[in-house]
Amino acid sequence: MTSLTLELTAPPMPRIDLSALTPDRLAGRSADAIRRLPLWVGNEEATLGDLFTVTAGDTDDILIRCDSDRLDGIGTGMSRGAIRVEGRAGAYLGRQQRGGTISVSGDTGPFAGSGMTGGGIEIGGNAGDFLGAAIPGERRGMRGGRIQVRGNAGDRIGDHQRRGLILIGGDAGDYCGSRLVAGTIVVLGRTGANLGFAMRRGTLLLTSQPRLPPTFNPNGTQEPGFLALLTRDLAGLGGPFGQLQARGTRVHRWLGDLGYGGQGEVLVWA
Amino acid sequence: MLTRLAGGLIYDPAQGIDGEVRDLFIRDGQLVAPAPGEDPDHTYDLRGKLVMAGAIDLHTHIGGGKVNIARTMLPEDQRAHCRARTALTRTGGGQVVPSTFAAGYRYAEMGYTTAFEPAVLPMNARQAHMEMADTPMLDTGGYAMLGNDDLLLQLMSEGVGQEVINDYVAWTLKATQCIGIKVVNPGGINAFKFNARKLDVDERHPHYPLTPRDILRTLSRAVAELGVPHPLHVHASNLGIPGNQVSTLATIDAAEGLPIHLTHIQFHSYGAEGDRRFSSAAAVIAEAVNRRPNVTIDVGQVMFGQTVTVSGDTMRQYANHQHAHPRKWTCMDIECDAGCGVVPFRYRDQNFVNALQWAIGLELFLMVDDPWRVFLTTDHPNGAPFTSYPRLIRLLMDRGFRNDCLAQINPEAAALSNLGSLTREYSRNEIAIMTRAAPARILGLADRGHLAPGARADITVYHDLADPEQTFARPMLVFKGGELVVEEGAVTRVVRGRTQVVRPEFDPAIEGRIGRWFDRYHSIRLANFAITDTEMAAGIGSPVTIHPCNRRST
Repeated sequence: MTSLTLELTAPPMPRIDLSALTPDRLAGRSADAIRRLPLWVGNEEATLGDLFTVTAGDTDDILIRCDSDRLDGIGTGMSRGAIRVEGRAGAYLGRQQRGGTISVSGDTGPFAGSGMTGGGIEIGGNAGDFLGAAIPGERRGMRGGRIQVRGNAGDRIGDHQRRGLILIGGDAGDYCGSRLVAGTIVVLGRTGANLGFAMRRGTLLLTSQPRLPPTFNPNGTQEPGFLALLTRDLAGLGGPFGQLQARGTRVHRWLGDLGYGGQGEVLVWA
Repeated sequence: MLTRLAGGLIYDPAQGIDGEVRDLFIRDGQLVAPAPGEDPDHTYDLRGKLVMAGAIDLHTHIGGGKVNIARTMLPEDQRAHCRARTALTRTGGGQVVPSTFAAGYRYAEMGYTTAFEPAVLPMNARQAHMEMADTPMLDTGGYAMLGNDDLLLQLMSEGVGQEVINDYVAWTLKATQCIGIKVVNPGGINAFKFNARKLDVDERHPHYPLTPRDILRTLSRAVAELGVPHPLHVHASNLGIPGNQVSTLATIDAAEGLPIHLTHIQFHSYGAEGDRRFSSAAAVIAEAVNRRPNVTIDVGQVMFGQTVTVSGDTMRQYANHQHAHPRKWTCMDIECDAGCGVVPFRYRDQNFVNALQWAIGLELFLMVDDPWRVFLTTDHPNGAPFTSYPRLIRLLMDRGFRNDCLAQINPEAAALSNLGSLTREYSRNEIAIMTRAAPARILGLADRGHLAPGARADITVYHDLADPEQTFARPMLVFKGGELVVEEGAVTRVVRGRTQVVRPEFDPAIEGRIGRWFDRYHSIRLANFAITDTEMAAGIGSPVTIHPCNRRST
């Protein structure tokens, strides 16, 4: 069966909340019913059909074609199925996602994967700030699942993250892994200022030497056992993340943030 | 225009009408007795429906600094309970601390037409009134908080006469546009700033030569002598501490027979018996209330689920902060006037303490004999959001449902409670007393809470359903000042309320003393502090309705 396809006809000026468009919430609806779904465009109520050309298909396999960064909340709370975005996505992509996969060919806005507990997000372009982080007022960011970004990611990656894996192929912004409670962030490019600020536990795995806050202590060069398991697990992935086994398991280790218990670790491949 | 509400079953305890079929007539926003033979312009057929006066909530935190702090602290509450804009109503959000709009609409949709904010810090009164003015559908009012402010404690320490205190209390009511006086943890909030973490009723304040008992006696006497209808509204010492029944009884005694209202008494009815040193003292407290006609209470029932505790009681909120859920909290001083503590909390039915708190509240409801002296509150949002009232009413009216709920809570707590043996079921008439007639009487509101000719036409019509929760959650019609504002549980017309105040007389010479205090210690001048009637009407947008006082000779 073909995908349910939504093609944005004209880029909207206001931000559009697409959180209702998940496989869970569209299951069993006809293409006509989907066209009639209400959407707010600014302070005016419209229907999905006003903004998108809808082609009927499998609601568990949704394809969104859009060249706009205004579409927010794609895949919010989804638990199964797949959403593919050909183009860009706005803020809150895969917020509180519980399962299934989301892939975006281009860039995404801030808060992608915030509060997610399961499933996978793949971003072909760059991710905005607060990737896998907690939104204001919440005490918990990403709590499970896996996020892959081929390009760069913005500031505050994994803020308040508690579990799960974030993979960045390019560079990371400032405050990467800030307030990290647990979980793993891998950055293959460079990292910005204040890496691991206020992290409690968890692992930041890097390829290049970071600029660490003064509240991190060196812990020598080590060969942690888990690294072989992690890279073997990732070997099935395409692109740079599938080839990490070649880097071996020998890493320089720092512990911090000492202001917050100091049980977190920053590992840099030797 | 004459409107007739025909054939409804009227429950109007103030007139002793308990479920009689009668017609009501509305003209110009009031209930009237029409001339014989006069034809109504419009008739609502209410045969088989239940008709009561609009409900009054005499203790609900809907305005003031602490509510805004809680709103800011819990954006997830706003996000999770969002109310979409309609052609008529504005957007709003939140359940445990709803926005002003959401609170007003939701109250009206439950048949409430008047609500009182019980903790107006004098220094925050302007902002509290602005928030309440922003709350649509409701008439509002506030109780000014005294008893921890340094000026009162200073005056008392100097040994000034009761008349000076009376003048200060009356001036405070006028300057803050309030209808009553509340004292929170008398002296305790102030003592917290002198590093005391506990202040018992007969314990001396670490700085002032005073005890909480002195403060209670002085303030309850002031309120009584000024003829303020609402008794001193007391949030007693030692909130939430096992064994605090002793200090609660001492607080009752401190009024020395003068009228006293003990608020959210559930949190003050704890014993320290049993293996876990936490037990119900509801029987002792209920017996004391039954025995002393000068005492009224509201319960502050706990209902299970997420909520947030907001209180001026910095001392107790600080002590409870480690229970915050989610883990964020704040305690702060407000311009040396009093305090403020905001601690989010989730009451769990499988938690021994929370389950017993739930049972203690219900025991109090069922063991206090006189429904005219016990009021239905959850101390919104401290025990639960006000949206849980319909369920609470069902717990009171339906023993089978109550026992089913009792069977589901923490079994240790259930075993320690005598709730299962209490057979009382509230009648509709008793619910009408505790949510309408009695609050109006205890607040001195002669114009509402009843359905006699001359009353404001604040009327709620309910469907007669088997399940009281469904009955009270979704009224068929709500009239506010004679206008139909809610139909079938949804707002159909948006109205704005007025602020209910009392204005006892006082000797204006007291302003000299207060003015010097302001100049010396406060952040604003006295002239900028007081809120005038003009400002209430024009600036704040909620004109005042002044209710009479009955001044007694001193």
